[in-house]
Amino acid sequence: MPDNMVKTESPAAAKLSMKDVNRSYWLWQFFSHANYNYERMQGGSFAMCMAPIIQKLYPKKEDQIQGLQRHLVFFNTNPNFGTLIHGAAIAMEEQRAGGADISDEAINSVKTGLMGPLAGIGDTLDQGIIIPLIVALGISIASQGNVMGSLLVLVLLPLVLMLIAHYFFVKGYRLGSSAVTSVLSGGKMKRLIGAASILGCTVMGGLISSYVSLSTTITFNVGKEAFDLQKQLFDAIMPNLLPLAVTLGVFALIRNKRVSSLKAMLILIVVGFFGGLIGIF
Amino acid sequence: MNWLQALILGLLYYLSDAPWFFGEGYYVLQRPVVAGFLTGLILGNPVQGAIIGATMNLIYLGQLNVGGSMPSDMALAGYIGTAIAISTNVSTEMALTLAVPLGLLGTVWWVGKMSIDSVFVHWADRYAEKGNARGVMLMNWLPSAVMMLFFKVLVTVIICMYGTGLVEAFLTSVQNTGVLHGFEVIGGLLPALGIALNLRAILKKETIAFLLVGFLLVAYFNISIIGVALFGLVIAAIYFQYTKEDADYAG
Repeated sequence: MPDNMVKTESPAAAKLSMKDVNRSYWLWQFFSHANYNYERMQGGSFAMCMAPIIQKLYPKKEDQIQGLQRHLVFFNTNPNFGTLIHGAAIAMEEQRAGGADISDEAINSVKTGLMGPLAGIGDTLDQGIIIPLIVALGISIASQGNVMGSLLVLVLLPLVLMLIAHYFFVKGYRLGSSAVTSVLSGGKMKRLIGAASILGCTVMGGLISSYVSLSTTITFNVGKEAFDLQKQLFDAIMPNLLPLAVTLGVFALIRNKRVSSLKAMLILIVVGFFGGLIGIF
Repeated sequence: MNWLQALILGLLYYLSDAPWFFGEGYYVLQRPVVAGFLTGLILGNPVQGAIIGATMNLIYLGQLNVGGSMPSDMALAGYIGTAIAISTNVSTEMALTLAVPLGLLGTVWWVGKMSIDSVFVHWADRYAEKGNARGVMLMNWLPSAVMMLFFKVLVTVIICMYGTGLVEAFLTSVQNTGVLHGFEVIGGLLPALGIALNLRAILKKETIAFLLVGFLLVAYFNISIIGVALFGLVIAAIYFQYTKEDADYAG
């Protein structure tokens, strides 16, 4: 028996095939937010993708009950990059079923310990950079009346996100509970985020020029000459000066003054509407 | 817009937060740039739908749904907003203004859904107690799916069939006043919000120069966004290479 325990620590004693791991991935891919709720967030979905794994690994009914209950707890992370956790959890369950001394707490602490950092990194990368970039390209094509822009988002975006989710799911399974340190530490991730931020910022800068529009109609007399504020001051300094100022202004409000996005939206609506009504814009 | 079209739009609106499109409804079908196009397809004008959806999507470019929150329902704006905009034949800027109240209205169901779904997870608990894996899996999607399908189709049909008339009546009443111009100014300003919200995630002291590069490229040379992205890609690649040396020193 002790001999057996040592053996099961190694992947050679694997009881699961890649087919099982992939099946679990697809269950997560489809149903990660199927019953998203305040009480346990993605907890039910985590249990759902682990259910076939638990069934296969534990022949005894009590173990199956415990296994299902073990994963039917609060869980919330980034659904694409966070799949590292699912893979690692499967690897740990497999080792445990093989007789390795892995407690409930060990599995739980890997899950809860990883879900926070991966939510942060994952949301920054997908919602903050990857999605806005692909969507911005789609917008720039579609807004000119070319439906390829919409189709680009419809096809490319799910493909990219699924490739990421699958990659980290399998990677998590291969690395097991050591997944945490190997992916999160090391400068490569940081550099990648840095490079992606640069790309993101460049495109956002372009979007400001292309899509934010504001110009003033104010003119006043300087001596005998009429002075057109827009043409003779703002445009003379730099094209699209006002759109840049507005965007950075909104950014400063949200970031530094902690104004909510809803309030910022209301400010823009009120200023825009009355400015337009009384004729200064 | 007829009943059948409204019904299909309702179905699409349901799908945009449902598992059936590879679980990507929430990430992809929800985006107005996609929703507008699909809505246009159903109403017989895919090109106009794509234009409206794309412009509308600018507001939601920086939306971050974190920790179970949803600041705005861009799917409701994308499907129903585009449908009403096409039916009433308004300008794209006006459509943008139309999207705002619809998007905010959508956050109401989100809170309701997130609360009611909490009940279903207890149903899953009961199956888990018996060791019924199939039951646990089923409870994770079936009750919520039935509820949301029914609710979203109903809401879409009601707003599409009655909202169009309301918007038309409103537009006639404010004709030849400065109100429409006011809405157009708002339409030009709202993309600033979407961009600013996205910048929260990526703009720091170190990256502000790159924002200006993108801005100036378009302001002075009128380069397309794809062109700007290519320049950005080159700069990012250079950054990635040069920081590697530093990492090696550190390691």
